[in-house]
Amino acid sequence: MIPGTFAAWKRLALATGIIAVFLAAGIAAFIWSGVYNVAATREHFAITTWLLETLRRQSVETYSYFVESPPPLDDPDLISLGAAHYEGGCAPCHSRPGEPIDAIVSGMLPPPPPLADPVARQSSKEVFWTVKHGLKYTGMPAWSSQERGDEVWALTAFLRQFPRDVAGDYFRLSGVDRLPPETGESPTHGGGTVALTQCIRCHDDADRETISNLVPRLAGQSPDYLLRTLAEYAAGTRPSGIMQPVAESLDQDEMRELAAYYARLGAKPQPNNDRPDAKRIERGRILATNGDSENGVPPCLACHSASRAAAFPALAGQNADYLTGQLRLWQSGGRDTTGYGQIMETVARRLTDEQISDVAAYFASLPPSAALDRPTSPEARQ
Amino acid sequence: MMRCCFVWPAAAILLFVVSGCAGVQSALDPTGAEAERINTLSWVLIIFCTAVFIITAIIASVALFANERWRQQLAGERLVIGAGLIFPAVTLTFLLAYGIFVLGMGGGSADTSDGLRISVVGERWWWRVIYRDENGRRIESANELRIPVGRPVKIDLTSADVIHSFWVPKLAGKLDMIPGRTNTLTLDVTSPGVSRGQCAEYCGGAHALMSFFVIAMPEKDFAAWLADEAKDAHQPTDELETRGQALFIASGCGACHTVRGTAATGAIGPDLTHVGSRHSLAAATLPNNAEAFARWIRDGQHIKPENLMPPYPIFSDEELASLSSYLAQLR
Repeated sequence: MIPGTFAAWKRLALATGIIAVFLAAGIAAFIWSGVYNVAATREHFAITTWLLETLRRQSVETYSYFVESPPPLDDPDLISLGAAHYEGGCAPCHSRPGEPIDAIVSGMLPPPPPLADPVARQSSKEVFWTVKHGLKYTGMPAWSSQERGDEVWALTAFLRQFPRDVAGDYFRLSGVDRLPPETGESPTHGGGTVALTQCIRCHDDADRETISNLVPRLAGQSPDYLLRTLAEYAAGTRPSGIMQPVAESLDQDEMRELAAYYARLGAKPQPNNDRPDAKRIERGRILATNGDSENGVPPCLACHSASRAAAFPALAGQNADYLTGQLRLWQSGGRDTTGYGQIMETVARRLTDEQISDVAAYFASLPPSAALDRPTSPEARQ
Repeated sequence: MMRCCFVWPAAAILLFVVSGCAGVQSALDPTGAEAERINTLSWVLIIFCTAVFIITAIIASVALFANERWRQQLAGERLVIGAGLIFPAVTLTFLLAYGIFVLGMGGGSADTSDGLRISVVGERWWWRVIYRDENGRRIESANELRIPVGRPVKIDLTSADVIHSFWVPKLAGKLDMIPGRTNTLTLDVTSPGVSRGQCAEYCGGAHALMSFFVIAMPEKDFAAWLADEAKDAHQPTDELETRGQALFIASGCGACHTVRGTAATGAIGPDLTHVGSRHSLAAATLPNNAEAFARWIRDGQHIKPENLMPPYPIFSDEELASLSSYLAQLR
């Protein structure tokens, strides 16, 4: 059948061209006619489903190869932070562990699966990659702050718990059991705002501690600082896939009330069970008071003492893991998009890992009410 | 027409080139003992080389174009031995000895037993200047050096990070500033005035923006200035300046900067106790006025990339105005 002459070749080309034109016209007519049914009630063909699922599985496997190594995922603080975000960000579609998928979302195509099975099949890196990047052609969204791999790891750590039955422990892990009974007449929790009921699932309040050491204690911070932070989260300039959706849902008045509530709350002592060694705390104290001028590190207390500018945060009594995490985030460039963040970024990048741990341990060891004075005596100079 | 179009740019270029010979940073306009010796040495070398060049050109022209009798004169071995061997050997030996003598005089020639010690530390990218007076009192300043005229003053030079080089062409030759080592330069300035110095060893991205002014003053004025410089900072008087001071302290500026007499005691950046009285800001990069302070605070990284001070985009225009008027009044 291979054409032997130039004329035969010409005929074949012409025929192919005519077929191609008709095919294109046919496809265009199909698209324009709207005959194709996009209804979620109508299943894909089996072959299409197979193709999409295989593509998805292979793609996740390939791309997750490039994910950096995970931090220790059995850290209870990490798991708890992940669980708390799951309650707000994931449970609406994937439902709480052990509960059936919501009737509304189960009408999606594909419906969000209960996560126990897929997570059991996948490696931690694959789970991380999926949570961070989301999945095309499903309803799975990407993490809203791509800079915050640390937050994605927290959720991954929680999801890794699924193979063991977390249903029984879920309310405690995610902080749902910290919420006031829904029927109660005081859903405002004394703060004057309904929104507070969502804060206290993770953060501290008058009676309780934060749900995880990775979550900052808010009691006793200045209203200026809290308002600024909420505004930065809402605008996305301080990236956080956990706080941005929460802050976005607040209006100006709610933000003001929340800030006032936490500022009024006053600091309360930290129940510190596992104190790091005194030597580490002492090294941290020296760094916080004197800085490390050799390496261009100014004393922390120049900006974080009792007489600081109103929009700077207090650090006394803050959770050590939160401080460590934020300083690392600064080092990796995750907090350089706000004016305040740019100041601290310069300093954070000059700290060694050792210094970060020391200074976090020092601030965590302080009673929150410690009226820290800014350093006044000139340090020894050469 | 052609000629006039050609002449004006040429004249402008010539004027521009010649203007480089005078001014605050010119080695050809010396006001220091060492720079004067170097200047003399340069002129001796320039004149000598020019003379040799002209004579050689004349001899070459004679050899090419003159009549037979003249050319005969050059043909013998006498010229080769005399002008080709003996003359260069003698003159170059003499010039070398003279050069070594002039350059060698820089270091130890001065006798400064009156107790004033000045250290200059090269930092990226500015100069820390420390005066120690007769009583051993330590007075820190930055990016500007003041010295008395009429007597040799020893300057200890070292570096806090990388190798820099201290060069004030009007006053002396350059001398490297090396981490862990102290080099001593003697400045013996003959007449009062302002000269400009420059880091002369590549030290990183903003190397070209690392300059300073040297102000040579009569002995009496210098003593009065040093006594003033040793005093604590001027307290703000009006409301704007007072707000600026409060902002300066609360915003943590004192973590890196010292303003003596206040809570600001930082040692990382330049001492700002009398910053308003200096001839320039940011190591001779900006003029010294309130507007320049505001620019530097808000966007210093743009002015001097990679400098060690964080940017402070957090201040409102009004806050910047109060901060810069506070700093400008620190005289």
